[in-house]
Formats: sequence, C-alpha cells, structure tokens
Amino acid sequence: MNIDYKSIIRNAILLFVLILVQKSLVWFISLSQLNLSPDLVIIALIYIGVREGKISGAVYGFVAGLLLDVLSGSFLGLLALSYTVSAFIAGFFQTENDRFLVRFNFIIAVFAISILSNFIYFGLFFQGTPILFAKVMLLYIFPSSTYTTIISLVYTILPKKKGYDRSYLSES
Amino acid sequence: MKKLGQLILNIKEYLILSVLIVFSLAFLFSNDNTQVRFLRAVAVGMFGTVQSGISSIPNVFELQQENKMLRENNIRLSNEVSGLKESKLENIRLTRSLSFKESTGLGLVSANVVNKSLIQTRNTITLNVGENDSVYINMPVITDAGLVGRIVSTSKNYSIAQILLNKDLRVTVKVQRSRVDGILSYDGVSSLTATNIPKNADVVVGDVIITSEYSNLFPSGLPIGTVTETGNLDNLFKKIEITPLVNFLSLENVFVLKYLVNKERYFLEKSYQSPKK
Repeated sequence: MNIDYKSIIRNAILLFVLILVQKSLVWFISLSQLNLSPDLVIIALIYIGVREGKISGAVYGFVAGLLLDVLSGSFLGLLALSYTVSAFIAGFFQTENDRFLVRFNFIIAVFAISILSNFIYFGLFFQGTPILFAKVMLLYIFPSSTYTTIISLVYTILPKKKGYDRSYLSES
Repeated sequence: MKKLGQLILNIKEYLILSVLIVFSLAFLFSNDNTQVRFLRAVAVGMFGTVQSGISSIPNVFELQQENKMLRENNIRLSNEVSGLKESKLENIRLTRSLSFKESTGLGLVSANVVNKSLIQTRNTITLNVGENDSVYINMPVITDAGLVGRIVSTSKNYSIAQILLNKDLRVTVKVQRSRVDGILSYDGVSSLTATNIPKNADVVVGDVIITSEYSNLFPSGLPIGTVTETGNLDNLFKKIEITPLVNFLSLENVFVLKYLVNKERYFLEKSYQSPKK
C-alpha cells in the first residue's frame, strides 16, 4: 500500500490554513447583516473527497471538523460528524477523469454537499429548540450553502493542472 | 475467514465511515468530559497565540460600521449640546429678567419678541402680549439693560412697539452725570443722536444718557445709552452720538412697563402750547 505523504502534507497544510482563516479572518467575507458566513473548510474537504475518494474525505473531514469543534467551543463532535459524512459523500463524485473537479461540475458538487453538511450540522444544532425545521432550512441551511457555493466560484478561476483529463467535455 | 476478510475489504470505506461517525457521536455525547475540556483548553491556547497575531489586522468593515455609528452619535450629541447651550442662555436671560422684575418697583408685563425689523428707518418689534395682558398704546418697553421703545399699536394678544432706532420716536433725555438735557432721535441710518444740547454743555464720551423727568412718555431715570462721540452741530448746539445699551440684534425678551401718560399733565401742557383761538 503506497502512502502519498506529499498529498497528506499538502492537504493538511491546506486544511490548517483554511481552518485558521475560517476562525480568524472569515469576517472579511461574512455578511454580518444576514448572519451569513461561508464555510471555506467544506469546500476544501469536497475537493479532497472528490479528488482522493471516500476514505480520505471522511478522515480529513473528521480531523478538520474535530479541530474546528474544539476551537469553536460549541458542540464537540458536531462539525466532525457533519464534515465526515459530507466529505465521504463527496467521494462518490470521484471519477477517473476528475470531471467533478472541473469548473461548474465542482460548483454543483459543492452546493449539493454543502446542503447536506449544513443539514446535518444545523439539524442537530437546533434539536430541542422551538425553532421550526423549515425556518432553519430557510434561514440557515439554504442561505449558508448558497453563499459557500458562491465563494467556491473562486475555485473555477484558479489555474488548473495540465494533467486533468477534460476529454469528457468534448463527448457527445 | 477468507470470505470475511474479503467482505471487510469490500466495505472498508463504510466501516471507516461508521467508526468515524461513532467517534463523532461519542464526542457529541461526552461534551462535558474533563478530558475534552482539557483538550479544548490546550487547542484554544495554541490557536489563541496565532489568532492574537492575526487579530491585529484591522477589520475594515467593522471600522466602517463603527465610524458610521460614531458619526451618528456625534450628530446626536452635538444636537444635545446645542440644546443645552440654548437652555443655559435662556436660563441666564430669564434669571436676569426675573431679578430685574423683582428689583423694579413698577408693574411689568413680560413679553417675547416675535418679530422685529432693524433695517428700516422706522424700526419696530412685535410682542406676544396685547390688550388681554393690559398692554396699551404709549406704554414704555424696556429690558434690564435699558429703554427699548414704546408701544404704538395693540391687538388682543399682540402689540407693536417703536424702538429707539425709529425716526418717529423722540425722547427727552438727560446726561446722567452733568444733568444736561437734550432730545434723542434716530438719524435713520446708523446712530442715535442727542440734539438741543448747548455747545458749552458738560458732555464727555462715556457719559450715560437716561430718560429725563421732562418726558411725559417715559418715567425718568431709565438708562438709554452711552455717549460715543461729541461734536458741534452749529454755532449754538452740540451733536452727540449715542450707542444704545440694549442690543437690538439679540433682543428676545422685553418688559412692557405699566406706565401711562399723565393725562392731566398732558392736556395742561397741550392746552397751554396751543390755546384755543
């Protein structure tokens, strides 16, 4: 079994930096009036999940989520659970030609998985409170996922490796 | 056994996911554990050092919002200060008026100036008191500083007063120090002048001018102004320029003096000056 240490270090650094940004600098792009902030870590986790598969996604998701839980002082294990499941599901988007890492396919993946992640997180977070789930959906899950997806558009303008197979784009 | 190994290998992804979910749930259900609190404290301590460095970066959006809030506060406080200053000035003015009212033995009606003209040759002020307040034509108008003018027109609730800066108002005056008499009038342009003062009369700059007992309109001794310039009108008389003690520009509160022309004296003097033919 070959272990790609380079990839592990790269992913660890990426997640560490994003966790730091998420905890310290996310107010730069937060919409404080609407109480909305993007989830930068889930974007990276979806990327890792789609690129490296379910197991990698789940493990990185668990570690990153747990770290954020510890730092946020909120429910320990809640983000870990949310990220683990979400990044694992992202692994289903893994294809041989990395088609879900290319531009708008990635955006679709981010939106779908972000909805799932927020669904788990806010669904459990508001358990036992009198707030209706429909309201949680409208006020938190959907807006937060949409904003995260919008922020992930930045990914589409980043330079890509030449090695990506884009042959599927010319299919049909 | 081999089959079991193969099965585990086939579902290893789900097994790992399950293990991680179990761990997550275990953490969720043990949120108050001492170990978890310790772990949390260590991690927060480590990140706190890094975060404290990052937190020195100014938050532009928050600063903007804070600036906006401070500006709004500034405007609100400026308005309050302005209001308080106005109240303070009003308090000083009213206190002075009240003490003046108490110190004078004459009947006074307090009034506010609701309108005034100061740029014409026949300047007047409108007061918010009238016949309902026992204010009648020819009553003197004064402030604590001195004579303002006299009432020339009244309605039920308002009255109009000629002020010293009115060409039609002439007042018999006296130099307080030397008791020299003269007639005060407004030249219609800029200054009050006292005429009919003999050339050799003792009048110097700084002398206070008051109403004379010869006046039938005003009680004697009301201060009017100070002499600012003396000169010769012709070979016989002096021309004296007087600055009024009352500041007409900032005039807001006045008193109407309940003092009316002595009719007996008025008619006697009038009948003597123009005897029936």
